[in-house]
Amino acid sequence: MSNHAKPLSIRDALYEQPGPHTRRRVLIGTVITAVLVLIGIGLVIRQFYITGQLAPRYWTFLAQPTTWRYLLQGFRGTVSVALTSGVLALILGLVLMLGRTSGVKPLSVVCRVVTDFFRGVPSLLLIYFFFLVVPQYGVKLSSFWMITLPVTLAASGVLAEVMRAGVNAVPRGQVEAAMSLGMRPARIMFKIVLPQAIRFVIPSLISQLVVVVKDTTVAYVVSYPDLMQNARVLITNYDALVSMYFTVAIIYILLNYAINKLSGFVAERMGVKIIR
Amino acid sequence: MSLNHTDEIPVIELRHVDKHYGDLHVLRDINLKVSRGEVLVVIGPSGSGKSTMCRTINRLETIDSGDVLIEGKPLPKEGRELAAMRAELGMVFQQFNLFAHKTILENVTLGPIDVLGMKRDEAEKRAMELLARVGVAEQAQKVPAQLSGGQQQRVAIARSLAMNPKAMMFDEPTSALDPEMINEVLDVMVELARGGMTMVVVTHEMNFARRVADRVVFMADGQIVEEGAPDEFFDHPKTQRARDFLNSIKGH
Amino acid sequence: MGLSELLTTYGQDYLTALVTTWWMTAVAFALVMVLSIAITVMRVSPLKPLRVVGDFYVQVFRNIPGVALLIIIVYALPNLRLVLDYRTCVIVTVILMGSAFGSENFMSGINTIGVGQIEAARSLGLTFTQIIWKIVIPQALRSAVLPMTNLLIAVMLSTSLGSQVPMSPDELTGVVSFINTRSTGGILAFLIAALGYVGTAAVIGLVGNRLDKKVRILR
Repeated sequence: MSNHAKPLSIRDALYEQPGPHTRRRVLIGTVITAVLVLIGIGLVIRQFYITGQLAPRYWTFLAQPTTWRYLLQGFRGTVSVALTSGVLALILGLVLMLGRTSGVKPLSVVCRVVTDFFRGVPSLLLIYFFFLVVPQYGVKLSSFWMITLPVTLAASGVLAEVMRAGVNAVPRGQVEAAMSLGMRPARIMFKIVLPQAIRFVIPSLISQLVVVVKDTTVAYVVSYPDLMQNARVLITNYDALVSMYFTVAIIYILLNYAINKLSGFVAERMGVKIIR
Repeated sequence: MSLNHTDEIPVIELRHVDKHYGDLHVLRDINLKVSRGEVLVVIGPSGSGKSTMCRTINRLETIDSGDVLIEGKPLPKEGRELAAMRAELGMVFQQFNLFAHKTILENVTLGPIDVLGMKRDEAEKRAMELLARVGVAEQAQKVPAQLSGGQQQRVAIARSLAMNPKAMMFDEPTSALDPEMINEVLDVMVELARGGMTMVVVTHEMNFARRVADRVVFMADGQIVEEGAPDEFFDHPKTQRARDFLNSIKGH
Repeated sequence: MGLSELLTTYGQDYLTALVTTWWMTAVAFALVMVLSIAITVMRVSPLKPLRVVGDFYVQVFRNIPGVALLIIIVYALPNLRLVLDYRTCVIVTVILMGSAFGSENFMSGINTIGVGQIEAARSLGLTFTQIIWKIVIPQALRSAVLPMTNLLIAVMLSTSLGSQVPMSPDELTGVVSFINTRSTGGILAFLIAALGYVGTAAVIGLVGNRLDKKVRILR
């Protein structure tokens, strides 16, 4: 059987096993592009150097434990906003999805409008709503909730749709079988459909956490001390803007990369696809 | 109807072909000649290397050493020359592999128009003839996903035929089909064989092999273990491996 | 502030903001498509260095928060002697992030084609270039319609990053914060802007779905 040599991905399958001629051309191309890439990296480093950004004073603060302690504090803030939003959005998303699939016409219309609204509005606009508009009505929110609530609402619309996709993925035959057993629709949803649907979408839910984490970074608008906000404070202390922002950006990238990897890993373990 | 003149250049010839996947020796010193008009059926247990061998003939699989010759000329290793040689060989796959974004008619005319440089109306006229010949002319304007597996495979055969190939390879053409569709594909293949097409067929369909093959090749562990005329092979297999294999499939 | 008062005072600002959002979205999305194609070509090229750079680009820009990227472009790049005006900064941010997702969409479009069709095309005698133009690109484009529709909406939403920098004229999110810092616009001030986004998203979604139905490849 030929299974052993089947290329892993289509991007490899686009190319044949190269002949001698092709192999030489690929080798030459590889060398040339490698040199170009290295030159590119060199130019970036050079730009850092000639603008003085590689000077030790911009980077030494990274060796101080206080810097990291403060960043860690901010990171905790980010995590607590992200997790709170994640959990709340999960609940709200579930409610919206159940409402939309309930079969009760007015309820499903309302849930659909709400879902589409939160999916169609930028999270920044929601943040300004809680930051600028809500206080006009005399409601006093802590900065934690001022960032957590809009992030929750923005995520709930997306999560509702992800979970609905999961519900739709449950084979229709099972619902029919349950109905023929005389089960009532609500019971079928909670006993048969939902447990499976959730299983289908767990990896997708994990990957949506990336969006939540990204949304939390505007916490500085409401002065909530998350990672980004604390980094801004450090910048005024150390006057090390470039190095600080790059460091923080890398932390965010690694965090989200890890979440995506986790989601992919779980998806593979459970044998399900990630819905975006 | 074997025209096995020894002085004639074989359409397909494999000489001392070897191939490894890592540590696995998948093709061991394969030597094989297919004459013009001959129908060669390759059988063997899964993992025997029969598909791999079939795919080396048009270099969908590369080989480590040895030679693949088409009408006496070595198979080019790359580029336009290889593409031109492939255009002269038909290939039918287990999974049909029709182009999902093109209609049935476009699937059959793509090769003639883009590879052979045929005019569109001429290519379409000929494609319709071929589709009629394999019995799917009414489906010409549909897309592959709208057809049954058996119909798709017959289109795939028509697509190959449209290139006027010197020989055709069939890599387990009925293995992915529902039982009731196997015969409609085999019938087309029998028809082709009767018409004098040079064919290499990798299959598990023993009745087809017995009925249509000029010669049967039995492979196991990457080697050609035994070959001979179908009646001789099926009734009096010479090797224990072949006897075991034939017994194992009789049980089904 | 009532609706009529709001509209007489700020109607023009809203309109300008909506058009600004549309304009930024259109420009950004056009360039997102160009860059997505370039990145995808790099990622499927046979040259390892290009693949590595393409994959790295995608990982960085699909994982970086928009604000973090915007701040780097606005505040950090000038220190590296790369100064862009604010509006350009926002558009560049949106393009960098959008193209990472755009390339992912194209890649999954390519991935759905399957090895079999490529082998079949090869067996017919099509050359590499022909396979790319006749089989790969048409299928990748057609199956990317729906994901790209969603990306277009996402690009529009991320132009709201414009509210984080001084921009004149404001875009739709910026105008809400502008109005609310000058007077108490209340929930209406917010809803008008939201309607602009939701309405545009609905139209994009509608057109995208129509187009997808037309070109979708049955599998």
